Amino acid sequence: MPLILRAGSIFPWIPCILLLVSLVQGCAADRPRPDESGRQTVVDDLGRSVSVRLPVRRVVTLAPSVTEILYAAGGLSTLVGVSTADDYPPSVTSLPTFSALPVNFEAIVALQPDLVLATTQVNNPRDAKVLDELEVPIFFLRTQSLNDVLRNVRTVGMLVGTEKIAFHTADSLGRIIERLRNATDTLSSRPRVLVLLSEEKLFSFGIGSYIHDLIDLAGGKSITAQIERDAPILSEEFILVQRPDVILGTFPEHVGVAEILSFHPEWSGIPAIISGSVFAIPPDILLRPGPRNIEGSLKILAVLHPDIAETLRLTD
Amino acid sequence: MRRAPLVLAFTAIATIPAIVIAVSFGSENIPVGTVYQVLLDFVFKQVNDITSPEFKIIIRLRLPRILAAFFIGGGLSIIGVAMQALIRNPLADPYILGISSGASAGASLFFLGFIPPFVAVWLSVPLAAFSGALLSITIVYLVARTSEGLSVSRLLLAGVAMAALMGSITSFITYLSPDPNQLRDILFWLLGSLARNTWGTLPLVATTSLLGFITLLLLSPHLDVLLLGEEPAAGLGVRVELIKKTLIVLSALVTGILVANSGAIGFIGLIIPHVARSIIGINHRFVVPLSYAGGGIFLIVADLIARTLLTGEDLPVGIVTAIAGVPFFLLLLRRTQYKFS
Repeated sequence: MPLILRAGSIFPWIPCILLLVSLVQGCAADRPRPDESGRQTVVDDLGRSVSVRLPVRRVVTLAPSVTEILYAAGGLSTLVGVSTADDYPPSVTSLPTFSALPVNFEAIVALQPDLVLATTQVNNPRDAKVLDELEVPIFFLRTQSLNDVLRNVRTVGMLVGTEKIAFHTADSLGRIIERLRNATDTLSSRPRVLVLLSEEKLFSFGIGSYIHDLIDLAGGKSITAQIERDAPILSEEFILVQRPDVILGTFPEHVGVAEILSFHPEWSGIPAIISGSVFAIPPDILLRPGPRNIEGSLKILAVLHPDIAETLRLTD
Repeated sequence: MRRAPLVLAFTAIATIPAIVIAVSFGSENIPVGTVYQVLLDFVFKQVNDITSPEFKIIIRLRLPRILAAFFIGGGLSIIGVAMQALIRNPLADPYILGISSGASAGASLFFLGFIPPFVAVWLSVPLAAFSGALLSITIVYLVARTSEGLSVSRLLLAGVAMAALMGSITSFITYLSPDPNQLRDILFWLLGSLARNTWGTLPLVATTSLLGFITLLLLSPHLDVLLLGEEPAAGLGVRVELIKKTLIVLSALVTGILVANSGAIGFIGLIIPHVARSIIGINHRFVVPLSYAGGGIFLIVADLIARTLLTGEDLPVGIVTAIAGVPFFLLLLRRTQYKFS
């Protein structure tokens, strides 16, 4: 990997890898598989047994994050339809779209998929029952950590018959994560980070979210990692007591200390506000559990430890 | 009323075109000719071509959903009739008296894992909903009972209060749940949706709805007498207490199971029996079947609107029944010289 690192900033890395994936994915698509005849039973992340004919030829994804996983797994050529929220990679915008929340079953059936890929993050398991009755196989992915992202890439690669690319991508991503971890592992002081979804309402991430992994990897400590609910709405008091050093959010780009203070004037005394450490992170690379999360982690690293981010850029 | 059988026959027959029209529209544009071809092949030749997307959309998605709409609409409508006979007031409805929200609370409690599954899942959700509904209507009924009989104002106020309480229980437990679709789930339970109806869910809905229909049809002479008042009814040999208890349990059962399937769809039980009585008079022998068919057709049409109003999106059908139904009801209330008994 040092080769690519030397080429310059670490940030264009992930798109590079993904681009590579899209270039080579044609090669493996028609590779024969020993179990190609008949249906096979695979178990998804909800523990459901899903019967599919492998490798899958026509895939529909029910969430943008799943599309990105499929892309990273080298299976973009199998994609025949996406949700209206999808926009990455940009080529998917030319595919047929359907509403995923609530699921437009008619549109999905009309696309005649061999497999529907869904995520426990946004899709409702109860929708699976309807698709089961329609004999449309649906496979759920769950992401609670960055490791899950890599695992999902490999799983999807196996489903669509592009294991080689998928495993290669997952390994490459794994190595970046490893490098990042080595750089931040030994940090003695970790800023206490608050991640918010919006500048006004205090939606955040609780226990079992991959977001804490991203913060951890970037050398921070997420203050909501122990909250018992998946998607907590924080109280003003919680933040006043926790006194985060840094506030990150999927805010519009212009949002900074002044905007945060206009919504939460009581926060004037907390360290993040005093030091002006309020940063907007592009939502897609944070909120979609997929390969681009590593890009998100790097963005957070650049904010929390600009020196380390700089060293990572220059070394090797 | 001599034209009653005519009206009944007409409404019953109107069900068929309602189903056919509803099946022709959806988020996917399928040419009407293809729709009828697929329908006719399915009905008369038992063609079961699961590989064709048109077949899946029309026969596996739209048809069971539309049939469910009919049975749910009819069921909720006649439960309105039953409640109105029970309290001898036209302002009753499973939604207004808190039965629907009680059922919602029970079902969502189960769905979110707060009640352990003690019987098979397909049975325990309806069971939880039934218990919630029964609890809710029993409390409302007990609060409203006075020494001179039922106080209507108390009943309505208790109903509104129970509906609010049960609604907030549903919201609270949905909010507590780890399900990331919390808000959408709250909408599902509080406003109702027919989106997840399939052939697999239809038998329970249809059986329940028909059970309610047949029971009320058999009870209809007693319902007529009940309108005279409890004492005169008892004087005429009606076992008032038994009938009242049957009506309460039946209402909780039917509402509970229908709500467990589709959430709390409101106002059907209020509007449809009103319209039925204004057309056909107050004889329950006619009011019950006309309300049943009318409620069924009404929900089919409301669901058609919910499915097609926004391109590619399913609205909660309860929004449509309320928006379409309530102004209509107010108008009706204002215009007609309406006599209940």
